[in-house]
Amino acid sequence: MGNIKISKGDFSTKLELLHAGVKAGFPSPAEDYIHETLDFNRDYIRHPEASFYGDVEGDSMKDAGIFNGDRVIIDRAVEPRNGSIIVAFWNGEFTMKYLDLTHKAEGYIELRPANPDYPVFKVEAGDNFEVWGTVIHLIRTFESI
Amino acid sequence: MYGIADLDNCYVSCERVFRPDLKGVPVVVLSNNDGCVVARSNEAKAMGVKEGTPYFQLEQQFPNNKIAVFSSNYELYGELTGRVVSIIRSETPAYFRYSIDECFMYLDGIELDQLQQWGERLHKRVKREVGMPISIGLAPTKTLAKIASKLAKKFEAYRHCCMIDTDYKREKALEWCPIEDVWGIGRRYAARLQALGCKTALDFAKLHESWVQVTFNNINIVRTWRELNGIDAVPNEQLAKKKSICTSRSFNGMVSDINGLKTHVANYAARCAEKLRQQNTVATIVGVFLNTNRFREDLAQYWNYQETRLLTPSASTIAITKAASDVLEQIYRPGYMYKKAGVIVMGIGPDSPIQQDLFDTNAEQFQKMKRLDEVVDRINRLHGSETVVLGSQQYTKKDGKGKADVFANAIKHDFRSKNPTTRWSDIIKLK
Repeated sequence: MGNIKISKGDFSTKLELLHAGVKAGFPSPAEDYIHETLDFNRDYIRHPEASFYGDVEGDSMKDAGIFNGDRVIIDRAVEPRNGSIIVAFWNGEFTMKYLDLTHKAEGYIELRPANPDYPVFKVEAGDNFEVWGTVIHLIRTFESI
Repeated sequence: MYGIADLDNCYVSCERVFRPDLKGVPVVVLSNNDGCVVARSNEAKAMGVKEGTPYFQLEQQFPNNKIAVFSSNYELYGELTGRVVSIIRSETPAYFRYSIDECFMYLDGIELDQLQQWGERLHKRVKREVGMPISIGLAPTKTLAKIASKLAKKFEAYRHCCMIDTDYKREKALEWCPIEDVWGIGRRYAARLQALGCKTALDFAKLHESWVQVTFNNINIVRTWRELNGIDAVPNEQLAKKKSICTSRSFNGMVSDINGLKTHVANYAARCAEKLRQQNTVATIVGVFLNTNRFREDLAQYWNYQETRLLTPSASTIAITKAASDVLEQIYRPGYMYKKAGVIVMGIGPDSPIQQDLFDTNAEQFQKMKRLDEVVDRINRLHGSETVVLGSQQYTKKDGKGKADVFANAIKHDFRSKNPTTRWSDIIKLK
C-alpha cells in the first residue's frame, strides 16, 4: 500500500486525564476504581450518523406524554415496529405519530395521534409517504440552561 | 480490491434529506453568490439543464418548468457527507476521503465472494441512516473502480454496486466508458487521444504501453493505462497530493474599483494559505485571475491571469495575500465591470525545513510568521472561521461605515436552506 500507513479507529473519544499532570503527595485511593463518566452522547445516541433532532409543535401526541415545545431524538437506523412513535413526511410536512401496522396485509397503514381531537391518517400503498425516522428519546427542559 | 463510494448528485441529495417533497422534482444548487448551477438532480439533467448555467438564464431557458433552486449551503453538505464517511469508516478496513463526494476504500480484509453483497449493504445503510444515495464501484485498481461506480450509478440492475472482477467485465466496462470520462485523463489529453482514434477507454487500453510512454512522455498517463489494464499503479500518496489549490468566486453583483477587488482577492488568498497549512504544504507560485461577465455581451470584456514566484515557499497568510495583491495590481485595468476573480497557488511541496532564500527575510521573522499562522488557525477552528482575519480581508460594512464585515457576510445566498444538523434553531418541526 505504498508509504502511507492507514490506521483505523475512533479518535473522537476523550483521553482519560486522571493520569495526566504531576503526581505529588499520596496516591489516590480511588485510582483502582476508575470508571468512565456517564456520557449522554455515548450512552443514549447509539447511531450518531443516523441521529437527528426535532421540536414538537402542537399537542397531537399529548396522551403519550409528548407536549408542545418538547424536543425529540430521531434515530433513522432503528427499524420502526408496530406501535413505534415515528417521524413521517406526510402532506408536505414532518409529523410525529404512532405507527399502526395492523392493516399492513390489507394494503394500508395508519398514523395514529395520541389525542382524540386529531384524525387518524390512513396511508395506502402508492401514497407519497415515507417513514423518516424512529423517535427514541424525549428531552424536556424544566430549568432553562 | 479497491472500492470507491460516490455520493450521487451530492449537494442535491443533501438538500433532499430535509425536503422529502423534492423527490422526483428537478432540483439545482447554485455556486457561491448564486452565480451558476453547480449541482443538478437527475430530473434537472434530463430536462437539459447544463452544469454552469448562470442562474439568471435558468428561467429564460426553462420558462415552463418548475425547478427547485438552492444556494450552496456548505455547512449542511459538510456535516451530512461527514456522516456518510463515518459510516464508511465503520464498514471498511481502511479508507481515504478523496473529495467532498468521493471516498476510496481499501477492501483487502473482505472476502472476494462477499464483496458484492457487502457493497449493496453499505449503500442500503447509508441510504437509510443518512438519507443519501451512494454508488459503489469495486475493482482491482482505483481507475477501474471509478468506472465501475459510474456504471453503478447509471444502471439500476447493479443495485448501486458494480464490481469489475473478471477480464470480461473489465473489457465491457472499458468499452462503455468514453475516454474523456476516465479518471486521470484531463481534457487536453482526452482531445489528443480522440484525435488519435481513441474514443473509449478500451481503445486506449489496447494501445501498446511503450507507445503510450513514448507518445505522451507522462508518468500519470502511463499509470492510467496500466490501471485500465488491471495493474495497480496509482500510488496512494498520489491521491493526497494536490498540484494546485484554487479559491475563486463570482462576485455578488459586479466590482470595478481596485479596492473592492483587493478585499475579495485577499480573502481567496487567505483561504488558499489556510488550505496549504491544513495539508502541511507550502507553495512557490501565486497566481491571480480576473474576468468580466462573459454573459453580459453589452459590456466591455477583459480577462487576465498572471503569477508571481515567492522567494521562499510559503503557506503564510500574510505572504500569500501580499503576493496575490501585487499580482492583482498588475492585471487590473480600470473601466471594466468585473464579475469573478480567483487565486491559485502552485508549486506545492511539503512543509519541510525550507531553504531560505539569500534575499528573503531572515529565519527568525519566518518562524514568527509561522507561529502567528498557527495561532490564528487555532482560534478560527475553535471560535468559528473568520474570527481573526487580516485587515485587508475585511469588507466595508453594509451601512458604509468602516471596514468590519467578513467574507461570509459578503456572499449572496438568497435560497439557502436551513442547517438542521448544526444549529438547534434550525432543527425540524414536528406537527
